[in-house]
Amino acid sequence: MSATRDREIDTEEDRRHLAALLDAARQEFVADIERGLGAASAHVRFSDRIDALVRRIVDAARPRTSTPFAVAALGGYGRRLLCLHSDIDLLIVFDGRILPAEEQFVKAMLHPLWDLRLMVGHQVRVLTDFDELEPDNPEFLLALLDARLLAGDAAVMAQVREGLQPSNGTWREHVVDALLSLTEQRHAQFNQTIYQLEPDLKNAPGGLRDLAAARKLVALADPPASVNGDAERLVGAEDFLLRVRSVLHLETGRNLNTLSHSLQEKAAERLGCPGEQSQQRVEALMGEYFRHARIVMRALARARGLGAAKVPVPARLLPGTNFELTAAGAGFANMVRAALEPASWLQVFELALLENVPVAPAALALMEQHGARYTVAQYLPTAVDRQRLMQLLRPRPGLYARLSEMHDCGLLSRVFPEFQAISCRVTRDFYHKYTVDEHTLLTIRTLERLRGPGQPSRERFSTMLGELQAPERLVLALLFHDVGKWKVENHAEESVRMAQTMLDRMDATADERQDVEFLIGQHLQMSRVAFRRDTEDPHVVQRFAQLVGTEERLKMLSLMTLADIEAVSPDTLTLWKEELLWRLYVDTYSQLTFGYGDETIDPGHAAVASLQARRPPDLGEHELASFLEGFPRRYLARVDAEHVYRHARLARDIHPDEVHLFLEPKGETWELSVVTLDKPYLFSNISGVLSYFGMNILRGSAMTSPAGLVLDIFEFTDQERFFQFNPGATPQVEKLLQDVVAGRQDVAALLLRKEGSVLYRRQPQRVAPVVHFDSGHSQRYTVMEIVAQDTLGLLYRISRIISRQGCDVDLVLISTEGNKAIDVFHLTKKRAKLSEADEGALKEALEQMLEETHETR
Amino acid sequence: MKLVKAIIRPNKVDDVKDALDKLHVSGMTVSEVRGHGRQKGHTAVYRGKEYNVSLLPKMEVEVVVPDDILDSTIQAIIGAARTGEIGDGRVFVTEVEHAYHIRTGERDVI
Repeated sequence: MSATRDREIDTEEDRRHLAALLDAARQEFVADIERGLGAASAHVRFSDRIDALVRRIVDAARPRTSTPFAVAALGGYGRRLLCLHSDIDLLIVFDGRILPAEEQFVKAMLHPLWDLRLMVGHQVRVLTDFDELEPDNPEFLLALLDARLLAGDAAVMAQVREGLQPSNGTWREHVVDALLSLTEQRHAQFNQTIYQLEPDLKNAPGGLRDLAAARKLVALADPPASVNGDAERLVGAEDFLLRVRSVLHLETGRNLNTLSHSLQEKAAERLGCPGEQSQQRVEALMGEYFRHARIVMRALARARGLGAAKVPVPARLLPGTNFELTAAGAGFANMVRAALEPASWLQVFELALLENVPVAPAALALMEQHGARYTVAQYLPTAVDRQRLMQLLRPRPGLYARLSEMHDCGLLSRVFPEFQAISCRVTRDFYHKYTVDEHTLLTIRTLERLRGPGQPSRERFSTMLGELQAPERLVLALLFHDVGKWKVENHAEESVRMAQTMLDRMDATADERQDVEFLIGQHLQMSRVAFRRDTEDPHVVQRFAQLVGTEERLKMLSLMTLADIEAVSPDTLTLWKEELLWRLYVDTYSQLTFGYGDETIDPGHAAVASLQARRPPDLGEHELASFLEGFPRRYLARVDAEHVYRHARLARDIHPDEVHLFLEPKGETWELSVVTLDKPYLFSNISGVLSYFGMNILRGSAMTSPAGLVLDIFEFTDQERFFQFNPGATPQVEKLLQDVVAGRQDVAALLLRKEGSVLYRRQPQRVAPVVHFDSGHSQRYTVMEIVAQDTLGLLYRISRIISRQGCDVDLVLISTEGNKAIDVFHLTKKRAKLSEADEGALKEALEQMLEETHETR
Repeated sequence: MKLVKAIIRPNKVDDVKDALDKLHVSGMTVSEVRGHGRQKGHTAVYRGKEYNVSLLPKMEVEVVVPDDILDSTIQAIIGAARTGEIGDGRVFVTEVEHAYHIRTGERDVI
């Protein structure tokens, strides 16, 4: 060594000597890696060896220049974490102008490094370059943070460092901004999630760059800060990440940092991960990877928070509770009490969602530490707690982040133990980019984003989500749609089985249960039909419409499909697929609302057989069959067995001019079922009476069988609290309905008295009315769809005009979406479809009514 | 050698793939595309409002085949992709001068 010192490296012997030095350094490192010891200490040793090599080259080149200079290591090399095939990032600074002599020095330095086939990243600067910041070069700004003098004049390096001190406020601010901005950009490339199936150990969220960023943010904090315990946890995470990365470099012979599926097997083998089968070893490795990546991300989040809390935020205690809001987020005021009250833990997430803040790290740590002490029942001891959990799942900004926090601290798998089956579960295929649990949570992020601003291209799906009556069921179904993936085959079937256990525990209502089970069981169907079937074939759409049964389920399944595809990878949901999904949705929606009238129940229908088999003793077989015959099949898809039996009883012994009804509360709304026999103006009279009692009809349906039996079902809000304050309201409504239907009372006259009511007054038009006729979807009916501003009494006014025009209302679907009423009428005139002239006259009359301000007659 | 480019209905890809497999056509490229031919889209109605669907989703299938099986390839594609309705698609054929295997460097071996 001394023989070649201070002499130009220009002979073959010199080059061989350098190559031998590098080879020896690498062999030493390889030996460490092969023993699974390629952690930080091995990287430091290797960096030191490369330091010696660089110093030797610098010494040899030194005579080329008389200008004082410094050579420094940057980036990971600066941190002494050089891996086997990492780039050698160098900074060469001269205290003076760069003239031909200095250029010769740089060449004499770099050529031997290139001859060694090292990848060298170099920056050549003069000291005056550091007089001013380079805000447009954030990467260099950050690389300087790790600058470490290797050779040359320490005084030159000291001058470089002079302005790079946390006490220099401008510099610190620029560096922190650059660090946060570059981190954000890098995370965006990975869809903001650590749960990559083939993670980039260096760049992915939770990787080595984030680890370095967390440490830098802490070091740069003003005032100086530290986060308890993070430093030690980060050392463990760094050792793990470096050990795995060193295996990748060894196996590929390149500076490759992506832990691909094939390299996972090799790394798991080399690092001695437990498991008899390769798959088990890989799962153990990836489980450890995600655990460490989570540690890094939490430390980074805390380090980011150090910069955010420039003004101390006083803790705000929520009166009468153990909850508080602090700068760190929603948490517990008394941690000892919180540890003993597991039923309160979910409420912290509720509070965080309400306030749109994170859950405080201390609260998450408490749940992680004490979670194993409690059973599912202790987290959800009462029906109210279970209902609160359901409501917590309503899609809104922050839901994905809160559920991710809940998952990371283990609470999600404690309230839904089935979710544990897919925790960090790896699936190997050409499409999925994330673990099954993260894929699941990302589906919920898609929904959440549909609720937020900035998705104009998805407006049609955003509107669809806004129209759902119980979007929390969709989120619950999404949470469980892939839990069966712990099994290789038939995962949808297994997911349903596992969801049933959860639904039992949650005391789910029959409606909730049916929706959730349907969505999970059929979650692959819509994409199959949309992308692989001929949706221009009416039979394909018809069969799909029969599968979904109702518009509500169609909307939920459409959104589920959209979210499921988007969560596979950032590129999977193309505009092309989105368009096919939307087209299938529109065609199926039209089939459900326009085409259902021709599909009537017949005695041989499977659902009828099932109803007959479970028929209560008070209902005869013939009685039930007669009641059902001729009603649309849609009725059986929408109404559960108990209600079918109830309606059949209402139809018992019905006579002309009689009205039989049943009223029941349904959460915050009421449902009224009315059975009577058909006659002119019937539908308008019934809807008029409901308006008279202040019932704001939200949704419902009206059906007429060929035998003239009419069954109307209305779901409404009790605007005037008539039912709340009148225990005898039902007989009163029944009496008035009978009087109106029998012609003993004139509903129009009754409603005139209501004209002055504030509730009854028409609202200013915000929805442009649309009246649309369709004669193609149904063989028997002309279908008329009306979209208009929802107002009290609207249905009455529309149906009154229809009757005045001599048309018969055979079927009606009523729905309300926000302030928009969407009503679909199946009409006939003298038992035939409407002529074009009839349609024109009806349309004109309706449009005139819809545009008038105070039409009440 | 010829490059055969077929624009077909999305639901016909599997049928076309099966038909080409039977001819031992070894490789294919499939892309999602949108466009219109003579049908120029159609009008759909949703919530009472009409809207024009001018660019329809289609699939583009590309295969390179030796001249001697060109006709049978085209017939296989047409047979598998046809429904008889407007919108069945198109088949285009162009000359290919040379083809190379990137891994082996072999030329004109399909």
